[in-house]
Amino acid sequence: MERTTDADRINEIQHSAQPCFQCGICAASCPIFRVAPDFNPRMAVDEVLRTGTVAMTGREWFCAYCLMCEERCPMEVALSEILIDIKNLSANDGKVPPSIIEMMDVIRFTGKVSHASKRTEKKRRELGLPELPKPDVDEVQTIFEMTGALDRLMRFREAEVEPE
Amino acid sequence: MTTSDSVSDAGTGVEPKVEAAESEIRIGVFPCKCGKNIGAVVDIDTVAEYAKTLPGVVHVQVNTYTCADPGQKEIQEAIREHNLNRIIVASCSPTMHEDTFRKTVKGAGLNPYLCIMANIREHVSWVHQQDPEGATTKAKELVAMAVAKATSLVPQPELDVPVTPSALVVGAGVAGMQASLDLADMGYKVYLIEKEPTIGGIMAILDKVFPQNDCSICILGPKMVDVIQHPNIKVISMAEVDEVSGYVGNFSVRVRQRARYVDPDACTACAECIEVCPVDIPSRVDQNLTWKKAIYIPFPQAVPSSYVIDPEACLGMDLLRCGKCYEKCEQHAVIPEDEDKIIEFEVGVIIIATGFEPADPKKIPRLGWGRYPNVITSLEFERLINAAGPTEGKLVRPSDITKPKSVAIVQCVGSRDIHTRMGCSNFCCAESVKCALLIKEHYPETEVVIYYQDLRMHGKYFEDQYHKAREEGIKFIRGRVGEIQEYPHTKNLRISVEDTTHNELLLVDFDMVILSMGAEGVAGNVPLPISVTQDKFYIESHPKLRPVDTSSAGVFICGGAESPKDIRDSVIQASAAAGRASIILQRGRYPIEALSARIQQDICSRCGTCVKRCPYGAIIQDGTGRYTVMGALCQACGTCAGDCPKDAIVMPNFTNEQIFAQIETALKENPEEKIVAFACAFCSYRGSDLAGVSRMQYPTNARVIRAMCSGRYSVKFAQRAFELGAGSVLYSGCHLPADCHFQTGNHWMAKREPRIRNWMKRKGINDERFRIEWVSAGEGKKWQQIMTDMSEIAMKHADEIRKKRTAKSKGKTKGGKQAKSKRSPKTQGTKKGKKKTTKTKRKKED
Amino acid sequence: MRFALFPGCTISDRLPFIEKSIRMIAPHFNIELIDLPFTCCPEPNSVRSFSDKTWLTMGARNLALAEEAGVNIMTACAGCFESLSMSKHVLDSKPSEKEEVNKVLKKIGKEYKGQVEVRHIQQVLYEDIGIEEIQRNVQYPINYRAVIHPGCHTLRPQKILNLDDAEAPMKLDELVRAIGMESLDYMDKVMCCGAGVRGINREIAFGVLREKMDSMMMVDPEVAVVFCPTCFISFEAGQKVVNRMFDKKYNLPVYYYTEILAAAMGLEGVESILSEHRVKFSALGMLVAKNEPEIENATPH
Ligand SMILES: Cc1cc2nc3c(=O)[nH]c(=O)nc-3n(C[C@H](O)[C@H](O)[C@H](O)COP(=O)(O)OP(=O)(O)OC[C@H]3O[C@@H](n4cnc5c(N)ncnc54)[C@H](O)[C@@H]3O)c2cc1C
Ligand code: SF4
Ligand code: SF4
Ligand code: SF4
Ligand code: SF4
Repeated sequence: MERTTDADRINEIQHSAQPCFQCGICAASCPIFRVAPDFNPRMAVDEVLRTGTVAMTGREWFCAYCLMCEERCPMEVALSEILIDIKNLSANDGKVPPSIIEMMDVIRFTGKVSHASKRTEKKRRELGLPELPKPDVDEVQTIFEMTGALDRLMRFREAEVEPE
Repeated sequence: MTTSDSVSDAGTGVEPKVEAAESEIRIGVFPCKCGKNIGAVVDIDTVAEYAKTLPGVVHVQVNTYTCADPGQKEIQEAIREHNLNRIIVASCSPTMHEDTFRKTVKGAGLNPYLCIMANIREHVSWVHQQDPEGATTKAKELVAMAVAKATSLVPQPELDVPVTPSALVVGAGVAGMQASLDLADMGYKVYLIEKEPTIGGIMAILDKVFPQNDCSICILGPKMVDVIQHPNIKVISMAEVDEVSGYVGNFSVRVRQRARYVDPDACTACAECIEVCPVDIPSRVDQNLTWKKAIYIPFPQAVPSSYVIDPEACLGMDLLRCGKCYEKCEQHAVIPEDEDKIIEFEVGVIIIATGFEPADPKKIPRLGWGRYPNVITSLEFERLINAAGPTEGKLVRPSDITKPKSVAIVQCVGSRDIHTRMGCSNFCCAESVKCALLIKEHYPETEVVIYYQDLRMHGKYFEDQYHKAREEGIKFIRGRVGEIQEYPHTKNLRISVEDTTHNELLLVDFDMVILSMGAEGVAGNVPLPISVTQDKFYIESHPKLRPVDTSSAGVFICGGAESPKDIRDSVIQASAAAGRASIILQRGRYPIEALSARIQQDICSRCGTCVKRCPYGAIIQDGTGRYTVMGALCQACGTCAGDCPKDAIVMPNFTNEQIFAQIETALKENPEEKIVAFACAFCSYRGSDLAGVSRMQYPTNARVIRAMCSGRYSVKFAQRAFELGAGSVLYSGCHLPADCHFQTGNHWMAKREPRIRNWMKRKGINDERFRIEWVSAGEGKKWQQIMTDMSEIAMKHADEIRKKRTAKSKGKTKGGKQAKSKRSPKTQGTKKGKKKTTKTKRKKED
Repeated sequence: MRFALFPGCTISDRLPFIEKSIRMIAPHFNIELIDLPFTCCPEPNSVRSFSDKTWLTMGARNLALAEEAGVNIMTACAGCFESLSMSKHVLDSKPSEKEEVNKVLKKIGKEYKGQVEVRHIQQVLYEDIGIEEIQRNVQYPINYRAVIHPGCHTLRPQKILNLDDAEAPMKLDELVRAIGMESLDYMDKVMCCGAGVRGINREIAFGVLREKMDSMMMVDPEVAVVFCPTCFISFEAGQKVVNRMFDKKYNLPVYYYTEILAAAMGLEGVESILSEHRVKFSALGMLVAKNEPEIENATPH
């Protein structure tokens, strides 16, 4: 894609943060900020604008991607997207919450985030639901390889771990 | 704008008559040394000798300072002595002295438009200091180009039109009232049109007005009476302008006045009728917070002081359906058969003072207005706190009519937001502080908090207000409110806002919230071709130097219609607009642009393209389908001519014939090495002059052709230049999007680019040989760079041509040598040379 | 109407009874559903945050599948709706991204062209079928006091999803009213349920849910109605966690819209769906069992 390197991505983040005039509407709208005072989306933008760099504090992962901030920003700063970008930068650095690694692994081997347990399979049969066509896991593997997800997973942990 | 027959007659009446060219063209050329400015580089005597050989030239006279008194006298004497009928002064830029020399020739009895200039200073001696030979050649060719053009110059009539000594003022807010009073006091007749049943505008329904917080209607009321009683002012209320035709000095106006159903002269405002009227409707003046009757007066001080019937709400004024007011009114003021009226009149000038509307809170749903009753706008607050308002001045919550103990004021609502309006509305910060102070004044125990993003208390006395507000204990918190939520049972409100100073989320409960509303433009609701901004405010002629003029001569703007502003600024602007308008009225006559476009009816195919091009609405179609130019509106940009598919439009002094003659002359010698550069008079040509004034050196191969506006450059100019072998062609205009002196000429020129490029492709002409550039009057440096680059392109092309030629004449040894001797005009215009000169210049400055 | 049903992993693999309710009502509104070998949409927050290229390419693969089959996608999950709509938006508005993605898809024999549309089932019901048609199908109006939760990823970004007004949504309210319920206005209606950070930080996630549910409870609702399985889990299972964590006593039955629609339509087999709920609503169960409205003494327990 266009942003091939981290530097490109940082540039893009800076560029899209520029219109921000620090009104605080995003912060006032963020459900996370309401319960976690150290996660302030405005400050995330402010940091980019002030320091010219993107600090990956780990707090970026607190964003629930609810898009409230982005919807209301009077300057149309794509804040949720900026946070996604920052998280991608952290991911590239290997700084990822374990739950996400777990999820990525499950997807990698099943194509789904939550693979049906025996119990649900039984339930589906009881309810008379059709068996859903299974995605080709090789295709998922190929996508993981070619789009860098595999690299990032490897970077996070050296040894490959099969789920369950 | 449309026209009636009488107007188009007036339009054609002032169309210049083309005088038959005199039997013999007798051109006088006056090369100037400008002391050493030109003389030290250009060999003026050679130029003079050369000029004598040019067709039509009968007299050549060199001068040291042509612009000085003796020089001008010499021109006048020569005209008389040699019977000259075309004058060319080869000296400095026409920007500098064209006016001077036009006056000179006029003094000798010659039509001033028969005098043109060849710019051999800014375009030659100052920019080719190291290449006297090349400079002299260029000077010769520039003179030849001028001579070629002069041959087909024709006299242009200098006309003016009489001015009707009256004015139309649209909108009777405080701005429109002030402008009307000023003009009326000067003795001019004023027609003041107001769409509402009363004059006064927004100010009339405000309670107190900042910065002194004095009573609004107490200061406005007397002024409203002055307006209605002024013998020179005719107030036409409940009316809108239907149509305006004509031009500066002679506008015909048609106004439609809605039926009032009450005779304002008979009505004594006794209020007997409202006792009997059975219909209740929401009161608009009171922001729908209360009711009024179907027969009503907007507010007690309304002017005209008369009731009015809302025909949509009224049950029927006949006795069968209702007619109670008709029966009751002892003055017999109710007129059931009243009808809309058309009123027509003539004016010389127009002032637009249509104000603005408060922003629409429905467009910002996150703040809950409309869903939550206790969220009100600042205008609703003005009515609630107003003694004449729905609650007789008691501040109460709409949900339960109780007094609020805490009030939040939310700033920047509808302003500074891409989704509504980007601009700051200018008055709302002071408005908020005023609201806060008013609450404190009436109910000191109320808690009032203002949530602001930037408190812009910029006006005179504003800071005092702010200071006072702080003293009163009003709280100010920096942060823009994200959302307002209503508690389901109490109908109290919870606002969420970040205190950005402390990086802290605040969820705070209030009894009531006031939204400080910004402004929404209404410009464009008058049928006049004045451009408006994206957010619907009128665009001024120049933001700094002509702030109340518009692009249409004789039409002025003021007050909120121009941009959101407070009362004081509205009044200042209104007086300014009246002053500017009175200049036209007082002179009694208005000069018409002598070089205005003319449509040759026998060639015109009636396609109507020109109408779309003209930024001034100067081209109209008359009853017979003919398109004609209204001389008084045309500003002579030539954009229409640039796109006329039939070449039916004549732009005097910039005709196709004249421009082609210039192109052909420029390309007589070594066309492949030449840059044919078109520059517009107001930006690019001045930019090229600046390069000269700053002595920025570049190669000598450019031949600049001046036009009034880049909109004039038709596709054919580039085509002709390339057909004649030009090395490269430049179209240069004022910067996009908004710098064009003629508003949109540059846009239309830019739109022609694909056509030119496609044509070039078909002809196998290298794409890089044509360029469009935007050069402002301040960009001499850019001009130098463009000239240098385009010169390289031309020289590259010339090289290719030479190579082709030698390839063709292989075996014959003759051509090669000749070609070599013709290599590039030796100048310091190469990149290296350029660096050197800038360096030396810098040294000088040090 | 023919759609590829995109139930999403959460519904198909964790909440199959929701899928059942969709398949139950579909034929009554002439909706024909086909199944395709979709992967995860993928999940809009975590996957995209981990690697946005992977997210986009997997999304494009899903879109390409439907394109190949010549049908539009109907999603049942707000997350899938947002994720696929966003992928589509990026792919359609940035040709260079589309080109890159198609290079990868080519390796697995697929191509995204840009012809497929992504709809949420709420859009199909509200826009294509319409309130009146739904009302016509309701046999046993259920007149409980409901709070609805539209869900972040059906509302925002409004410019792209265009499902309802992002600040004052009314369409789900109209849909629940169509089956006889009263839709209660409450504070924080458009607020997030916190699901997005459940895996990252439980205190925050359930703190958000507590805020949200506190606001809901202010209006004394009898049921909550959602249109997203993730929100369903947040409220249904999450309220018990909130009760433990913050010493609350929530006991609010939660329904995915088509479940109660199926009940109101009196469709056979509804009991088997509702019996899967953790927070049961006896009155509704009784109603369904008897197939007759019994609303007087309805109390959540
Ligand atoms: C809530 C609020 C509070 C304010 N408080 C203050 C204050 O305390 N102090 C202060 O200095 N300023 C204040 N202002 C700003 C002040 O209102 C404006 O500066 C002022 O009204 C501008 O005057 P105007 O004549 O240009 O426009 P307006 O007052 O808007 O008058 C325009 C008039 O033109 C009429 N009109 C519009 N279109 C047409 C048409 N096509 N044909 C005929 N008539 C037309 C309208 O009906 C109106 O009567 C406030 C503004 C608002 C909204
Ligand atoms: S809402 Fe937008 S402009 Fe305001 S602080 Fe947040 S990012 Fe900046
Ligand atoms: S998208 Fe993230 S930062 Fe923005 S409001 Fe939602 S949780 Fe907060
Ligand atoms: S005629 Fe109309 S305005 Fe007069 S009293 Fe009756 S309803 Fe009112
Ligand atoms: S386009 Fe320019 S030259 Fe043509 S009529 Fe209009 S103002 Fe005059």
